[in-house]
Amino acid sequence: MPLVEIHRLSKFFGGLAAVTELNLDVMQGEILGLIGPNGAGKTTVLNMVGGTIFPSRGKIIFNGEDITNFPPYRRAQRGIARVFQENLLFGNFTALENIRLGFHLHSRMGFAEKLFNRQSTRNKEKVWLGKAFQMLEYVGLVEHTATAAINLPHGKQRLLGLAIALATQPQLLLLDEPVSGMNAEEVEGMVALIKMLREKRGITCVVVEHNMRAVMGLCDRIAVLNFGEKIAEGLPRTIVESKAVVEAYLGTE
Amino acid sequence: MNRRRLIRMLGIMAFVVFLFFVPVLFDNVYWVSILIITAINALLATSLRTISIVGHFSLGHVGFMLLGAYSSALLVLKLGISFWAAFMMAGLLSALVAVVLGYPFLKVKGIYFAILTLLTAESFRLTAWNWRSLTGGSLGLMNIPSPSPISIPAVGIVTFDSESSFYYLTIFIVLLSLLALYRLEHSHFNFNWRAIRETDVLAQSVGMNVLWLKILNFAIACFFAGIAGALFAHYQRGLSADASSRFGVLTSIYLLVYMVVGGENRFAGPIIGALLITIASELSRSLAQYQPMMIGAIAIITVFLFPEGIIGLPGRLIHWYRYKKNGMSA
Repeated sequence: MPLVEIHRLSKFFGGLAAVTELNLDVMQGEILGLIGPNGAGKTTVLNMVGGTIFPSRGKIIFNGEDITNFPPYRRAQRGIARVFQENLLFGNFTALENIRLGFHLHSRMGFAEKLFNRQSTRNKEKVWLGKAFQMLEYVGLVEHTATAAINLPHGKQRLLGLAIALATQPQLLLLDEPVSGMNAEEVEGMVALIKMLREKRGITCVVVEHNMRAVMGLCDRIAVLNFGEKIAEGLPRTIVESKAVVEAYLGTE
Repeated sequence: MNRRRLIRMLGIMAFVVFLFFVPVLFDNVYWVSILIITAINALLATSLRTISIVGHFSLGHVGFMLLGAYSSALLVLKLGISFWAAFMMAGLLSALVAVVLGYPFLKVKGIYFAILTLLTAESFRLTAWNWRSLTGGSLGLMNIPSPSPISIPAVGIVTFDSESSFYYLTIFIVLLSLLALYRLEHSHFNFNWRAIRETDVLAQSVGMNVLWLKILNFAIACFFAGIAGALFAHYQRGLSADASSRFGVLTSIYLLVYMVVGGENRFAGPIIGALLITIASELSRSLAQYQPMMIGAIAIITVFLFPEGIIGLPGRLIHWYRYKKNGMSA
C-alpha cells in the first residue's frame, strides 16, 4: 500500500493553475524525486502535503487516512515532517534549543508541568536536552550546540533544518531543495545522510531538487512536473531519456 | 552572575517593602492615589507585553480593561455580588471574550491584528457609551461601591473605603498578578511562545498547535487586563466611556509606550515605563493638553537613543564605563 496517495490534486491561485489534477503515489520506504522547471508546482505540491496551503480540489491520503483538511500540526502528529526551502529556523534560539523544539510532539507535558517549572519538569527537560544533543551529534553539528541558529553558515543551517524535522520522528520527510546553495562536498554529505535515514530509520522521503546529480544519486523514482501537470514518472534512468522531459527543460526543436 | 541575581532580588524586595510603607511615609492622599493608578497601569502594560511575546501587538488592550471594569461594577451594582467574586468574574469574562475573539483575530498578524484589536476596543467603548439602560450611557455609571470589608484572622475586619487601604489592596493584587505573569515567563509555555514569534510556520510543522497557544496567551493577558479594569472601577467609584476617558484609544497607545520606553524585552521594562511616565505626566499636570505630544516625544527619544528601553540603560552605562577605563581592549 502506498504511504501517500495524492488523488486528483489541484491548486489555483486566482486564475493561475499551479497544480492540476495531479495523481501521485509515494511508496513506503522510497525516496521520490519531484523535479521540473521553475514554477512547475513542485513546492506547491510539497506545501499541500505538509499542510502549509490547502488544495483547491482533490484528496491527500496518508497511511489510509484522509488528511486533506488537517492543519500542519496534526499532520506532524501523524508523522509528516518538512524541511523548508528557505532556511526556516528558530533564529534566535541555539542549535540545541531548535532541536528541543523539534521534540515538541514527543515531550508532551501536562498543563501544570508546563506552567510550573518544578524539579520534576526540569529533570525531564534535561533528558530532552540530552536527546537533542544526540541529534546534533547524529547530523554532525555538535560544535555548534550553543550557537544561535541565525549565526550558522548556510550549509549548517540546512542540516539543522533537517535535524529539527528528524526530531519530530517522522515517517515521511518532505525535503524542499535540501542541497541548494551547498558546495560539492556538502552535497555528498547531505545525499549520504538522507540515504542513511531511509536505510536505518525507514523514513520515506519526497525530495524537490534542481541539482540533477543529487537527484540521480538519491532517488529511487522520479516524477516530473511541468506547468502543474505530471509529464513523466519512473526510474531515474528512464526519466533522463524521456523525450517529454527533455522538451520541458530545453524546449522543442 | 550569582551576585547579580542576589542584588536584583534584594532590589526587588526593597522596592516591595518600600511600596508597603508609602502610605506611612508620605501621609499624602494625592501621592497614594497616583501610585494606585501607576500600579494599575503597570499591570496593564505588563499584560500587554505578554501578548508581544508571541509577536503580536494589541492596540486594543484598553477594551479588555473596560470589559473588566464594567462587568465588575455592574455585577456589584445590579446583581449585588460581593466585590471579591465580581472582580474575579470580571477577569474571567475578559479572558472568555479574548478566547472568542482570539480565534479569528490571531490568525492574522502584524498591522492587521493591531487594527482588529483597536476597532474591537472602540466598539466596546461605544457600546458602553450608548447602552443607556445598562451602563448609564453618557451619564456614566455612578456610586460603584468600594470592596466590601473582609475579616482577616489576627488583623480583624478590614475596610477598603479609605485611600490607603485601597492602596494596599491594589498593591497586593497587582504584585500577585505580576508574580503570576513572571512565573508564566519562566514556564514551558514561554519557550513555545517565543518559538512562535520566531516563525509560526516552522512551529506548526514541528507539531505545535500555534493557534491554541496564541489564544491561551491572549486570554491570559486579557484576564489580567480585566482584573486591572475591575480595580480601576472600584477605585474610581464611577465609570464613563467618553472618548476622552481612560477607555479611549489613547490609553492603548500609552500602554504600548510604557512597554517600549521601559523596555519590551525584559519583564520589568513595562513596569518601569508605567511608573516613570505615569508619575511624569502627573507632575506635568498643568500642561495636560500637551501631554500626548510630550509622551510621544519621550517615546521617540527612547527609541532612537536606547532602543532596548530604559531598563537597558544601566547595562549600557556599565559597558560605556568599562570601555572608558580599559580603552579599546574592552
